[in-house]
Amino acid sequence: MRTRPVKSSDCANSSVEALYRDHSTWLRGWLRRKLGNAFDAADIAQDVFIRILGRQQPPQPAEPRAYLSSIARGLVIDHWRRRELEKAWLETLAALPEAQAPSPENRLLLLEALVAIDRMLDALRPPVRQAFLLAQLEGLTCPQIAERLGVSLSTVERHIAKALRHCYEVQFAA
Amino acid sequence: MSAPATAGASLPDGVVDAAIRWSVKIDFNRAAPETLAAFQQWLAADPLHRQAWERVGSLRGDFAKLPSRLAMSTLQAVDSRRRTDGAGRRQAMKLLSLAGIALFAGWTARDHAPWQRLVADASTATGEQKTLRLADGTVVVLNTDSAVSADLAGERRLITLHRGEIMIATGPDDEAAARRPFWVRTPFGAMQALGTRFVVRLDDGRARVSVQEGAVELHPASGNGGAIVRAGESRWLADNGSEIAETHGFAEGAWVDGVISAQDMRLGDLIAELARYRSGRLGCDPRVADLPVSGTFHLRNTEQALHFLAQTLPIRLTYRTRYWVNVGPAADG
Repeated sequence: MRTRPVKSSDCANSSVEALYRDHSTWLRGWLRRKLGNAFDAADIAQDVFIRILGRQQPPQPAEPRAYLSSIARGLVIDHWRRRELEKAWLETLAALPEAQAPSPENRLLLLEALVAIDRMLDALRPPVRQAFLLAQLEGLTCPQIAERLGVSLSTVERHIAKALRHCYEVQFAA
Repeated sequence: MSAPATAGASLPDGVVDAAIRWSVKIDFNRAAPETLAAFQQWLAADPLHRQAWERVGSLRGDFAKLPSRLAMSTLQAVDSRRRTDGAGRRQAMKLLSLAGIALFAGWTARDHAPWQRLVADASTATGEQKTLRLADGTVVVLNTDSAVSADLAGERRLITLHRGEIMIATGPDDEAAARRPFWVRTPFGAMQALGTRFVVRLDDGRARVSVQEGAVELHPASGNGGAIVRAGESRWLADNGSEIAETHGFAEGAWVDGVISAQDMRLGDLIAELARYRSGRLGCDPRVADLPVSGTFHLRNTEQALHFLAQTLPIRLTYRTRYWVNVGPAADG
């Protein structure tokens, strides 16, 4: 047995410990039903508690299971999105001639950047997203995008402004 | 280098909106000289303007890093998949985790980038079986209520059995420069396949390894008591050693073909075996458990198997509910 000095953070940790002790098995079961497999469920359950530990305030939820599942739900959606993106990314790479493929070291970095962008653009309507990607990735100007998509210039400019505003909120809003 | 905008300090909405309008005019259009001049005036008018402008500009950083064609086609592919899948997305995600194995393995066989060591995995529900074909040519069949993960990225191929039972027929690993060792890991120890077809089944505190072709070398978790299992043999692998496994009265690995093929099997053992493929409870009264049974029983229809047994043996099925069945003596009231 080890003893250790009492720190102020121990109080927060002990409430997380209680959450973990009383509800982690339930949470893993809940996640397993959502995901259909036990390993991802265990991983995400772990992430839920890591996230809670990272918070400033010790959680004292009135409804611990509702609290845990609301955090878990967000992580499950992220997990699905990431899986979808990884698959599309691998398919894209697979279709590429060997010589044009990015180096193995770069692939991870690129995938991470894609995941970040995908998450950032998640809330945008498809036409807005599409216009913004054409501008950002292919470097098309607004008139070129308008022509490509068969919409008016002012519509494209509105889309771009909306996408920038959204990214700004994601990045800088407190 | 310009100083990054102070994190957390919020700028007035009007200023941010203005910066975005300028960005649309200048970054996303070909701006006329007089537009640029007007922009310079706006920028110089207030330090907040510059701060907002830098923040808006920084939003483009993530994109600049990406090769445009790759990123575009990936994001478009994922977009269109999300649109078409709609409600069926959860189902698609399930399938995807399986398809992912072959795909991942296809890449990982070729090189060893760290992110490709991400572990792919698959599992089955009670009564379900699944066949996985990995990129190295290996076939893994999952029996009822089983879970595995596959990692083909490294110097060795590794399958981890987390739950239940699998049959493995190892593949030629043609994509790799040299055929890599093939390992299966269980909670009680690991084993190396020596060119082969074999079944691994987790039990309480140990794993049963039955070899149909080739041989398998057992490595108990403690490091002691390793052994080689040859074709036709079965051994228990525990963390402190291994021992010969008694025959259990049915053909090893026949479940791959969807049957239990019993030869003088104890009824109690057969019922326990059938129970693995059913939801709910299936129990056997000790008074009839020693009755010998032979025959072929289909795993997909355990209900039919039970009725067949009831017709040919002095036993009786008692249904408490559809999911709670007891097998007892025929004479029992």
